[in-house]
Amino acid sequence: MLTLILLPIIASVFTLLLPFKRVHYFITASVLVTLTLVAFSFYSSTEIVTFHLSHSMSFLIVAADVILLLYFLYQGIKFRSANVIFLSAVQLLLYGYVESIAPTGGPAEIVVDNLSKFMFLIINGVGGIIVLYSVRYMRDEPVSATKKSLFIAGLLLFLSIMNLIVCANSILLFFLLFEMTTLASYLLISFRNDTLSRANGLKALWMNQIGGVVILLGALVAIEGYGTVMFDTLLKSSGGMVLFTVALLAMSALVKGAALPFEGWLLGAMVAPTPVSAMLHSATMVKIAPYLILKLAPVLGATLLGSLLSVTGALVFVAASYLALSRFVFKEILGYSTVALLGLMMALAAIGTKESMTLAMVLMLFHALSKALLFLAAGVLEKQYHVKNIEEMKGLVHRAPKTVGFILFGFISLTLPPFGLFMGKLLAITSISSLLRERPALLIVVLSLVIGSALLVLLYFKVSSALLSAPSDILPTQKEHLPYGFSIPLILLAFYSIATAAGFIIIQGDLFIAWLALPLLLVILLPSMVQKMERYDRIQPYHCGEKELFDAALVYYEPSIRVRQIIYGGFGMLFVAVAFIGVLS
Amino acid sequence: MTWIWIVLAPLLGGLIYGGERVLRARMQRRQGPPLLQPFYDMFKLLDKRTLILHAPHALLAVAHFFVLWFTVAAIFLGWNLIYIIFLHLFAQILLILAGYSVRSVYSHLGANRELLMVVAYEPVLILVAVGFYLISGSFEITTILQGDGYWHQLPLLFVALLIIVPIKVKKSPFDIGEAHQEIVGGIEIEYSGVFYEFLYMSRFLEYLFIYSFVFLFGGESYWLGAVLVAGVFLLVNLVDNATARVHAADMVKIVYGFAMSFAIINILGVLL
Amino acid sequence: MKFFTPFRKKSPWILHYNAGSCNGCDIEILAALGPKFDLERFGVINTGNPKQSDIFLVTGPVTYRSRERLVELYTQIPEPKVVVAVGSCTTTGGVFRGMYNVEDGIDRYIPVDVYIPGCASSPQLIIDALVKAGEILESKSKAIEKPFKLFGAIETIGNKLSRLNMAKKVHDDED
Repeated sequence: MLTLILLPIIASVFTLLLPFKRVHYFITASVLVTLTLVAFSFYSSTEIVTFHLSHSMSFLIVAADVILLLYFLYQGIKFRSANVIFLSAVQLLLYGYVESIAPTGGPAEIVVDNLSKFMFLIINGVGGIIVLYSVRYMRDEPVSATKKSLFIAGLLLFLSIMNLIVCANSILLFFLLFEMTTLASYLLISFRNDTLSRANGLKALWMNQIGGVVILLGALVAIEGYGTVMFDTLLKSSGGMVLFTVALLAMSALVKGAALPFEGWLLGAMVAPTPVSAMLHSATMVKIAPYLILKLAPVLGATLLGSLLSVTGALVFVAASYLALSRFVFKEILGYSTVALLGLMMALAAIGTKESMTLAMVLMLFHALSKALLFLAAGVLEKQYHVKNIEEMKGLVHRAPKTVGFILFGFISLTLPPFGLFMGKLLAITSISSLLRERPALLIVVLSLVIGSALLVLLYFKVSSALLSAPSDILPTQKEHLPYGFSIPLILLAFYSIATAAGFIIIQGDLFIAWLALPLLLVILLPSMVQKMERYDRIQPYHCGEKELFDAALVYYEPSIRVRQIIYGGFGMLFVAVAFIGVLS
Repeated sequence: MTWIWIVLAPLLGGLIYGGERVLRARMQRRQGPPLLQPFYDMFKLLDKRTLILHAPHALLAVAHFFVLWFTVAAIFLGWNLIYIIFLHLFAQILLILAGYSVRSVYSHLGANRELLMVVAYEPVLILVAVGFYLISGSFEITTILQGDGYWHQLPLLFVALLIIVPIKVKKSPFDIGEAHQEIVGGIEIEYSGVFYEFLYMSRFLEYLFIYSFVFLFGGESYWLGAVLVAGVFLLVNLVDNATARVHAADMVKIVYGFAMSFAIINILGVLL
Repeated sequence: MKFFTPFRKKSPWILHYNAGSCNGCDIEILAALGPKFDLERFGVINTGNPKQSDIFLVTGPVTYRSRERLVELYTQIPEPKVVVAVGSCTTTGGVFRGMYNVEDGIDRYIPVDVYIPGCASSPQLIIDALVKAGEILESKSKAIEKPFKLFGAIETIGNKLSRLNMAKKVHDDED
């Protein structure tokens, strides 16, 4: 346990001390290997580890919290952001009050249960790879060497924060770490320090601070009602107030998971360097949202609040997939699809049956792998080919076959069997259908799941249309040189996707599902036939007899302003309704 | 026995397609081609010189055909309906990737429309499956075929399915995917000879795929199923001969507006 | 293969190209495809796509603007293929013969197998020609057939045998 938290910190100190050179590869690679191994050994062990924090540690936490909030306040004043100033002030006051009435003692502050162990796997396995990748990525970034080292160190530190947050049992400790992740996204989004990054960073800051405020309110209610700030005690107690606390905490999850109408901060975050987008805004940090809902799920169960949350999540899935269709920046498209899938995970988690919770976890793991892969490949495109939006990607398969291959693999792993995301959706439809009779509200979830998946297919393959359009192969294809710093993380992620998909099928014990993978085998066999295709004549595409080549334009589906208003207004109301239902029940 | 049917599936589909061409001709007061015309076409295509753009493009069509065959086999074997729908989606995606993999305007347009079609009919198909599940308690086709009463309990769902059948068999008013003179066959455009033959045969399999959904509404009474299929077959061709093509975006609106709401109303009716 | 050859004439798919015709012959072709004459009896489909066609139905005297497309479409039809020149203009130039912007028939550019007379040629004649074309189709081999002339720049190509490569050979032959 200590390794998971301390090793990244130690490694980050080393990266800062040593000059930015090859040694960074070595450090990050060894961190990756150790962390993955430790996370695995944790996952395979069954015991539940608990820690009590000493008194001095508690004092440190309070101090850190106050300093953090004061820093936010300072940033707000420095950049004249009224939202940030106001929310920081509110948080400071609330925090002071909560801390003054918070009970001391009680159960352990840090509990490593099965869910935490699972999260360790995602955070360290995927996060470690992203850190390794970022070393190569940073080499080409036009900033000073110190700042490069600082960036890597920051990512490493972030790993340990994440490792801690998933085993925090105290709401107040959770609040501190939540705010620290907010800080991390703020700092890393504004890393490039231009006007746009600055504005987007501040946006991310104040939106996430709303999450902080509701957590504090939740803590307040928990203390008033039950005299505890511990998750496990709270979830075991009964009464209406529990649901209110849970509703408040779930609202913070909605904010962190960038559910509409808060998706603005995550979209803005795409101006950050790509490893940041991969790490914070897709693979690990935003996973706090479904994680939190999963933690709260035992209470949610068949309550009205649970249904409302799952409906909200499901609608986010559809709306975000739809909104993504109008975007043309590749990373923004990925961002929207992250928002969508996070919504789906929250929806599944909030249903609260054992099966749906498992599925939410499965989706989390596979989404982390696929999205990290896609983001990293997007980073390669950005650095090697200076391509950022999909209009510029026309015919890229000709110039960059390997990178495009990885992107396509990413898309396929998000949509097709036998990969986990597909399996998750498929099993989700089956499992929710069996609940329909008891809870008709879940029909909305099924419907959204189906429509949203179809929209996502449209989205991904629209993008691949730009990538793929290759001329007749009478010209020899170019060989693409992909540096090891880029290719190794990509290969690792692709390998993980395949291995986990195979593992998932085996764990399911349903060999029937393996049949679904059979068509893929066929597709894999196809390239071996390419050699035999030499005997067929080649021809130019049909252009009505013209010899010039034309290109088809990409299709965008732009919602009208009115539709947009309805979407945002509706989701705003749903967000408030969560609190409202919480109060009522 | 089932395996023989599976092996013969493309032939069966070919017969249906041939019958349809005759039927359509008769509806237009023509004599029409012979019943076996699709097979003549197939044999002729085998005898043509094959021109391709590049290898992946050609091979994806082959993959599309085999995955579709696999899907149809899964139907005959009575597998899980949801799996079957997703297998079909897989086949469709292979085709769409093929359409996108060439630098051809019509192929891209066709693939775009194919994607729109997927977006339109996929949710309805799954809702139909969910409807079956609610009545029979299982997604397995074998179990579904042992129950009955789908016809009475899911009438609106049947109408929803009726709306999407023309999309899948590429008939007016929803034949936007191939749209004869408009985008010259869409995805099919760059194929010739042997590889076009695979696409030509996958059309037969599409017929089997979508009409087997209609057949399921008959439940345990195979006769009712057969009557339903025949009726839908006639109706779809009648509508095909009598209507013009709708705009691609309107198709999605019509399907989401009518088919989806019918399906939802029906499922809610069953639930409440 | 011997076994498949008889089926060529049972499913002749046509590609119809208007090389500057007055539309008279085009309307007759459509009439032949329509319910009254019903060409589909013979398995004929109007594909509109050269890559899947067997018979190239050309109307019109070949104007300057249309000749490049004519040749391009011809090269895109896979062998065995048959060219049918529909109407007097297409066979000889007809009333347009000798005009400055007209090429006096398509056989300057591509080899023609069946000529149909008439201004405009009647549906009966067109059906007759298609039946004849079916027979010719049956007797042809799968060897590459070349157009007589080519237009525009010829692209450089890799080492694969391509239609363009074939076009290059034709070009070299001319020189």
